[in-house]
Amino acid sequence: MRRSAITPYLIVGPIALVLAYPFYWMLWTALKTDTDLYNVDNNPYGFGSGSPTGRNFRFLFEETEYGRWLQNTVVVGIVVVIITLVLALPAGYALARLSGGWGQTMGIGIFLTYLVPPTLLFLPMSRVISELGLQDRLLSLMVVYPSFTVPFSIWLMMGFFKTIPRELEEAALIDGASRLKALVRVVFPISLPGILTVVIFSFSLVVNEFVYAVTFISTSTNRTVSAGVPTELIRGDVFYWGALMAAALIPSIPLALLYNTFLDRFIAGFTGGAFR
Amino acid sequence: MNDDRPRVPITADMDELTRRDLLRKAGLGAIVLVYGGASVKKAVAAVPKYRGRELAGQLRIMQWSHFVPAYDRWFDGQYTKAWGEKNDTEVIVDHVNLAELPTRAAAEVASQSGHDLFQFLSPPAAYEDQVVAMNDIVQEVSRKLHGPMGRVGLKSTYNPRTKKYFGFPDNYVPDPVHYRRDIWGEIGLAPNSWEDVRKAAPRLKAMGRPIGIGMSQELDSNMAMIALMQCYGGYIQNADAQVVINSKGTRDALAVMKDIYKQGMTSEVFAWTAASNNTSYVAGRLSLALNAISIARTLENSNSPLADKTWIAPIPRGPNQRLGLEHVMGVYVIWKFSKNKKAAKKFLVDMQTRYGPHFVNSGFYNFPAWPKGVKGGFKAIRKATAADKHKPLGKYTILTTIAEKYTANIGHPGFSNAGIDEVFNKFLIPQMFAEVAQDKMSPAEAARAAEREIKAIYAKWRRRKKL
Amino acid sequence: MEVAAPARARGRWRDALEERRFFAAVLIGPAVLFIAVLVLAPLLLAIYLSLTDATAGSLSGDFVGLRNYTEAWDSPNFRRALRNTVIFTVISQVIVLLVAGVLAHQLAKPFRGRWILRFFVLLPWAAPIALGTIGFLWIFDSLFSVVNWTLVHDVFPGPPEFKPYKVINWLFARPALPDWLEIKPIDPFAPPQWLGQPTLAMAAIIFVHTWRIIPFATVIFLAGLASIPAEVEDAAKVDGATGLKKFWYVTLPLQLPIATVALLFGIVFTATDMTVVYILTHGGPFNSTHMLTTWAFDTGINSAALGQGAAVSLYLLPVLILVAVLMLRFARKVEVS
Repeated sequence: MRRSAITPYLIVGPIALVLAYPFYWMLWTALKTDTDLYNVDNNPYGFGSGSPTGRNFRFLFEETEYGRWLQNTVVVGIVVVIITLVLALPAGYALARLSGGWGQTMGIGIFLTYLVPPTLLFLPMSRVISELGLQDRLLSLMVVYPSFTVPFSIWLMMGFFKTIPRELEEAALIDGASRLKALVRVVFPISLPGILTVVIFSFSLVVNEFVYAVTFISTSTNRTVSAGVPTELIRGDVFYWGALMAAALIPSIPLALLYNTFLDRFIAGFTGGAFR
Repeated sequence: MNDDRPRVPITADMDELTRRDLLRKAGLGAIVLVYGGASVKKAVAAVPKYRGRELAGQLRIMQWSHFVPAYDRWFDGQYTKAWGEKNDTEVIVDHVNLAELPTRAAAEVASQSGHDLFQFLSPPAAYEDQVVAMNDIVQEVSRKLHGPMGRVGLKSTYNPRTKKYFGFPDNYVPDPVHYRRDIWGEIGLAPNSWEDVRKAAPRLKAMGRPIGIGMSQELDSNMAMIALMQCYGGYIQNADAQVVINSKGTRDALAVMKDIYKQGMTSEVFAWTAASNNTSYVAGRLSLALNAISIARTLENSNSPLADKTWIAPIPRGPNQRLGLEHVMGVYVIWKFSKNKKAAKKFLVDMQTRYGPHFVNSGFYNFPAWPKGVKGGFKAIRKATAADKHKPLGKYTILTTIAEKYTANIGHPGFSNAGIDEVFNKFLIPQMFAEVAQDKMSPAEAARAAEREIKAIYAKWRRRKKL
Repeated sequence: MEVAAPARARGRWRDALEERRFFAAVLIGPAVLFIAVLVLAPLLLAIYLSLTDATAGSLSGDFVGLRNYTEAWDSPNFRRALRNTVIFTVISQVIVLLVAGVLAHQLAKPFRGRWILRFFVLLPWAAPIALGTIGFLWIFDSLFSVVNWTLVHDVFPGPPEFKPYKVINWLFARPALPDWLEIKPIDPFAPPQWLGQPTLAMAAIIFVHTWRIIPFATVIFLAGLASIPAEVEDAAKVDGATGLKKFWYVTLPLQLPIATVALLFGIVFTATDMTVVYILTHGGPFNSTHMLTTWAFDTGINSAALGQGAAVSLYLLPVLILVAVLMLRFARKVEVS
C-alpha cells in the first residue's frame, strides 16, 4: 500500500478540523454582541445586529482582571518550570543511571503520585499552605504545582538520559572531572531537547490546573486564568458567553503556536534524538 | 512607611489564650493573615489604612457574586466603605461564585484561616462546630427592632438540639413564578394552581412555548421540585427530622410533574444550568419559569419587549397548600478562628437593623430576615415594591405576599440541618423527579429509592450528633 | 594555612560526591523530599480521613474503620459513578489510541500544510481544561447549541432544502435499535439535549475527554515513531516489509512501550479528572454521569461529609495502582525485548 500524496490530507484533515472546530466556534461567539448571540432566530454562523464586535475582548481586559490573571499564570508557570527543572533533572539522571530494581521501583513509585486525585488532596494542602502563611498568594501555587510536574518530568528525563550513552560521562571522568562537573558540563548541555520537553509539559500542566487555583486563592487580582474565568465570568444566573469564549481563546492560541513551533525539538527530547 | 506599634507575628501553633493576650497587649484589632517571614513591605501592607488615616482593625468578608451586579457595586464601593470609616475598620470584601462557596468554606476551615465573615447561600448546618454562636446578636437585633425574625430565618439557622444559632440569617429571596401574560391570555388560563398548569401544558407546547421547570443538577430545579412536593403535601423530613419522603403527597407530585413534562415541556429541562431558564425565558421560548426576579430585572435592563408581558405570581396552589421555598437564604457565619469577632458582629447587627438600602439596591432581591429590618416591616416593603415603576405597574407587590406568606425554609416543617443540606447538594430530589419523568421509574419506586438513600444520609448525620 | 583547611573540607565533600550511591542520593533527595511532603503526607491524611466520620466542619472525627467504604457501596448513585469512571476511561482511551496512532503515523513525514494541521491538532491540549470545557458547555447548550442549530436548519442556503436532521432520522431512527441507545427521531422543536439525556451526556463527556487527550497521545506517538532507529527502517525495507506488514511486525512492537505509557497517562488523566464532568453536567442528568471524582466532591465538600468523600475518592486508587504497575512492568518488558 503505497502512501499516496493525498492520504495525509484525507486522514488528518477531517480529524484536525473536528479537533479545532470548538475554537472556531469560540472565536465566532466572542465576536458577537449579546443581542446577536441570544437570538434564537439568528444564524449563528453569520453576523447579525452589531456583530462582529470587539466588545467582549474589551470587556475582558477593561472590566475584569483578566489581564492580571494572564500575567499571574505566566509568572507561576515560569517559576514552577524552573523549580521543576532544578528538582527533576538531577533526579532523572540519577534514576536513569541507577541500575537494578531500585531505579525501576522508584520510577513506578514516582508515577503513583499521579493516581491521587487533587479533589482529595486540596484540603490537607490548604492546611499546609496556611501553616506556611501562603494562603491567597501566588506563592502557594508555586510551591504546590511542582508536586505534579516533578514526577512526570523525572520520568521524562529518566527515559531521555537512558538514551545518552554512559561513555560520554566516563570519558569526562577519565579526563579528571568530578561527577558533578561531568553532569553539569557534559550531560546537561546535550539534554537541551529533553529539557525543552520538560518545560513544555510542565507549563501545560500548570496552565491547566484548576482545583488548587480555585481553593488557595480568593482575591481576584491574585487569580490565575484557569480559576478566574469560571469563578468570575459566571455570576450564578448569568453566563457572559461572549466574554467567556474570548477568555478561553486568548491563552490557547499562543500556547498552541508555541507547542507547534517547538514540536520537532520536543520530539527529539523524548528520544534523545541527537543520538540516532 | 514606619510604624512604631509592635508588630507581632502570630503563628498558628500559639494557643488561643496567649494569642488573645498578645492581641490585647499589642492593641491590634486584627491581623488576619499569617505571614511567615514578613518583610517590611508586607508589614506595611498589613496595616489597615483608610483615606490616609490608620484604622484600628480589619474585617474580611467573603460574599457571593450577587445575581444583581449593581448590589455588589454598591456594597463594595459605598456601604462597606462608609461603615468602615464610621467604625474605624478596614473592610475587605471578596467575591466568589455561588457554586464555589462550599469549596472555599471547606478550605478555610481546613487551614483555620481566611475571612472573618463568611456568607453562605444555604444554611451551613454542617459547620456548626466551626462557627461562633450567634445567639447574642440575634437577641440584640430582635431587641433593637422590637420584633422577632421571620419564620424562614429562624428555621434556617437554629439548631434545636444544641440550642445554638449557627448562623446569622441576613436575607432570603422569595421564589416566584414568571409567566407570559400574553401567551397564557391566549388560552384563557393563569398558573394559579398546578391543575391549571397541567391543563395549560399541552396547549402551550403546541404553541411552541413550552413550560420551563427544571429537573437538572442545579439550584432552580432543587427549589422548584421541593416546592412542588410541598404543595402536594410531600416533605423530605418532618418537624422532628425524621425522613418522611415516601408519602402519598410525594407520589402525587411525581405523577403531576411527569404529566406536565410529557405534555408541556421538552427535554431541555434536564440539561439546565442555573442560568438556563433565564436565558430560555428571555429568548422568548418559555411561557413559564420558576425563578427569582433576576429574570424580570434582566428583561427590564435590556429593554426587552417581553418585560411588559411578564407577570409575577406566587407558586401555583396544590391540593394541600400553596407554599414555596426561598430561592437562596443569605446566612453569615463568623469562624471561630476569626480575629475580629467584635467588628464582625457589629457589622451584622448594623446591616440588619437598617436593611432598607440593601433591599432597594438589590432590586427587591434581598428580603430581610427580620421583616422590621426595613423600617415599617412588611407594610413598608409592600409600599416600596408597589412603587416600582416598571410595567406592568405593581407587578412586584405580589413579591411581598410571597415573601410573607408563601415562603418556607429548606427542611420545612423541620429545621435546616446537615442531612437536608446533603440531600440538597446531591440533587436527590430533582433526580427523583427526572427519573420518573423520563420513565425510568414509577413514582412509587422513585419515592422508595429516594427514601432509602436519604435515610442512609440522615442516619449518618445522626450518628455524628448533628441531627 | 587557612586556605588548606577549607580546601580539605571541600575535598571531603567532593570525595563523598564521587561515591556513586551518595551522589545519586543527593541528586534524588530534594525531589523525593518534595514529593513526600506535598503528596505523601496529604495522601496519608486523606486515607486517615476516609477511616473516620470527619466532616468538612471538623477535620477530625471518630474512627469508624471501613464503614465509609461499605456504606458508599449502598448508594446506587455511587455504583453508577464507579461504573461511569470505568466506562468513560476505557472508551475514551481506546478511541484516543486509535486516533492518535493514525494521526501520528500520518504526521510523521513532512508534507505541505503539515504545520497548520499540526497546529489544529495541538489546540485542544493547549486550552486550559476548564476553559475548553466551558467552550463545550456553550456548544452543547440546551437552547443555543450550534450542533443542534446545524442539524435542524437548512445547511446549504438555496434550493434544495438540506436539513441534516432529516438525513439522520432516515438513517438511524429505526425500531430495530435497542432502547437504551435512546435514539429517537430528532424533533426540530425539541432537538437532542447533549447534556440532558443520559446516553448523549455520556457521549458528550467521553468526547471531551477524548478531544483533550488526542493531541497529547499523538505527540507521544510521534516521539515513539521518531525513535525507531534508521537501521531498523532500512532493514524493513530490505526485507520487503511495507505498509500493513511493516506496521504489524516493525512499527507496532517498537511502539508498544511508548504506547503503553501514553495509554497509562491517558487513563490517569481521565480517571482522576474532575473538571470536565463538573463543568459540563455536574453529574447530571439526574446524577447519571457522575464519576467517582465528582461524586466524592459533592459528598465531601458540597455536602460536608468529608470522611465519606475521602473514601469515595480513594476507591479507585488500588485499582489504578494495580493497573499502573502492571502496565509499567509490561512496558519495561517489551522495551528490553
